[in-house]
Amino acid sequence: MILELKNIEKSFGEKKVLTGVSFKAEGGKAFGLLGRNGAGKTTSIRILMDVFPANSGEVLIDGQPIDYNKIGIGYLPEERGLYPKKIIIDQLTYFAELKGMSRKAAIQSIDYWLDRLGMTEYRNKRLDTLSKGNQQKIQLITALAHDPDIVILDEPFSGLDPVNAMLLKDVVKEQIAKGKIVLFSSHQMSYIEEFCDSIAILKNGVVALHGDLHDIKRDYPRDRLVVRTENPDAILSDFGTACTVMEDGALRIQLASADEKKAVMTRLVENYDIDEVKVFEPSLNDIFVEYAGDGAKEV
Amino acid sequence: MKQFGKILKFELKYYLKNKVFVGVTVFLVLLIAAVMFFPRITAMFEEDNTVDVGDIGNVEIGDEQNQDDLPVMLIKAEEAELAEMVRETFAAAFNGYNVQITDSAIDDVKSTITAGEAECAFVLTSPIEYIYYVNNLSMYDSNAAMADEMLRHLYQTNALVQSGLTAEEAGDIMNIFVSGSVESLGKDQMENFFYTYIMIFALYMVILLYGQMVATNVATEKSSRAMEVLITSAKPTSMMFGKVIASCLAGLIQLVAVFGSALVFYNLNKSYWGGNMIIDSIFNIPTELFVYMLVFFILGFLIYAFMFGAVGSTASKLEDINTSVMPITLLFIIAFIVVMTSMSSGNVDNTLMKVASFIPFTSPMAMFTRICMSTVPLYEILISIAILIGSTVGIGVISAKIYRVGVLLYGTTPKLGAILKAVWKA
Repeated sequence: MILELKNIEKSFGEKKVLTGVSFKAEGGKAFGLLGRNGAGKTTSIRILMDVFPANSGEVLIDGQPIDYNKIGIGYLPEERGLYPKKIIIDQLTYFAELKGMSRKAAIQSIDYWLDRLGMTEYRNKRLDTLSKGNQQKIQLITALAHDPDIVILDEPFSGLDPVNAMLLKDVVKEQIAKGKIVLFSSHQMSYIEEFCDSIAILKNGVVALHGDLHDIKRDYPRDRLVVRTENPDAILSDFGTACTVMEDGALRIQLASADEKKAVMTRLVENYDIDEVKVFEPSLNDIFVEYAGDGAKEV
Repeated sequence: MKQFGKILKFELKYYLKNKVFVGVTVFLVLLIAAVMFFPRITAMFEEDNTVDVGDIGNVEIGDEQNQDDLPVMLIKAEEAELAEMVRETFAAAFNGYNVQITDSAIDDVKSTITAGEAECAFVLTSPIEYIYYVNNLSMYDSNAAMADEMLRHLYQTNALVQSGLTAEEAGDIMNIFVSGSVESLGKDQMENFFYTYIMIFALYMVILLYGQMVATNVATEKSSRAMEVLITSAKPTSMMFGKVIASCLAGLIQLVAVFGSALVFYNLNKSYWGGNMIIDSIFNIPTELFVYMLVFFILGFLIYAFMFGAVGSTASKLEDINTSVMPITLLFIIAFIVVMTSMSSGNVDNTLMKVASFIPFTSPMAMFTRICMSTVPLYEILISIAILIGSTVGIGVISAKIYRVGVLLYGTTPKLGAILKAVWKA
């Protein structure tokens, strides 16, 4: 199953929020939707979920306009919140029923998820008696209980302790393995990097970068080297401005072109006391800053 | 439609499980019970001290003690004969007073009244001229009007006697009674007044209370962010209609509980109420009027509840609700005042009421009042109901749209114009 947003345009009043937004997400893979605050991520998600229509553009499933009666969507919103004063099983059943499940099937599925997330003891408690992390897990059930085809998780890891984060990772991997389209939106690049095969970076309502994460990294000109050494001073003075110290203490050498790579590597290994030398591959964080930051390239 | 049913059920359960809702309903039922059992209870106490209840007539006339307990009314006139004649007449007419003649000077009379020793005084300067002294003039004081009548009567009788008739003949002429009976071909305002009053008041209370509840309910969902999930799970129209109709049902359930228990308790105690006109008229509401009452009640409730819901969706915080709903509350209070004023003036067919009975925001109260207390052509009623149904559906749909736009807006409450613009474009 392939989900595709095609040329989505959206304005609120005079303000243009999305301009020609297109991206594709595949079933059985996780997709990362990135962007700074206000870039248009939530608006894109809401259009995808038919909360409001786009001014123009299409949402397609396998090339056909999406039929919301057939395609189930599960959503974990960034702004968490359910009914604080209501019994957990009651409200979870309500949400699952709204998504079209029968009462019986809803309760069965919710009980499975409560057990899976270790929350069965809270089944008949009020939501506001739970800790923030546990409330988050309850909220996750609203996104998964009706076994949706598309799972949208907005900042799923925020507020979770490492153990719960592990649990959530397992759940997400399970969903991906089931062939579902899992759409991530997050500012925590490490998680996106860990899960997502492809990404789209939104900037001011425009897709600044879109594609397979591995390809994106490969496509970077391989004209930078990372060097680890015990004695950086000699290299620093010899390479001058081309050499900078990175945050983790390693040196980064900018080459005039990628063709120089082999020659410079040989020269480094032969002349200096080197622990490690490799081609610099940007992290997702670097890519994000490059495309979505203030000094980002114009697209 | 399936979603609507589920939302309705969920929301209705919210009301029926709400402790305040249940508490208030139980309290009202108990209050009604207390009122309805009151005559039975007082009758029980009266039975305990059954002392000479049969001789009420004797008590009034013969008991000097009783006379002294009554408030004192002083009569002062230059001529002793006039004073005595007036005293006799007044003593017969004002049976709640101990009527006495006084010779004191006017200033003394005044001080007697301000000191509270006498309640009022009539100082006659001639048989048909007087000054009425009273300490605090009550709103309902009709003594002067009665005195006018008495003095005129006295003067006319005297005049007839002087022109040669005997006192009896003069008395007969003066005391002639006209007998007649009234048959109202339209409505009897007196009879319909009470249930009109009760319905208007019930509508007023229920709309303000439940309207506020709907607004708060929506704003709570928004501020707790439950809305984020809800809006992606259900259509805003289903949400809005589900919520509002659930609150309407809850309101009706509460009213049925209150009025139903009133009916039951009344029937249990019917003999003790002994044909109390007000109570009887309330429970003997004609079926036709009852149906109109239900129609106007439900539609009036819905149209306001939709507006309250829409306003609730534009507030980001619960605290904003009170200021946001003010325009609606004001609109409703104005409608209420117009109807109440017209009702108590007795002229329910004035131009203002006629106009108000076709404006959907005022027609539930205005048209119902006119139907009850005047004769309104059927076509006017039907037009009014048709306008009301159309507007209710229209406002419902617009409210659902405002709701959809409103619930996703956070931060400062947007201006009405901005919302309508967004609704128009959406």
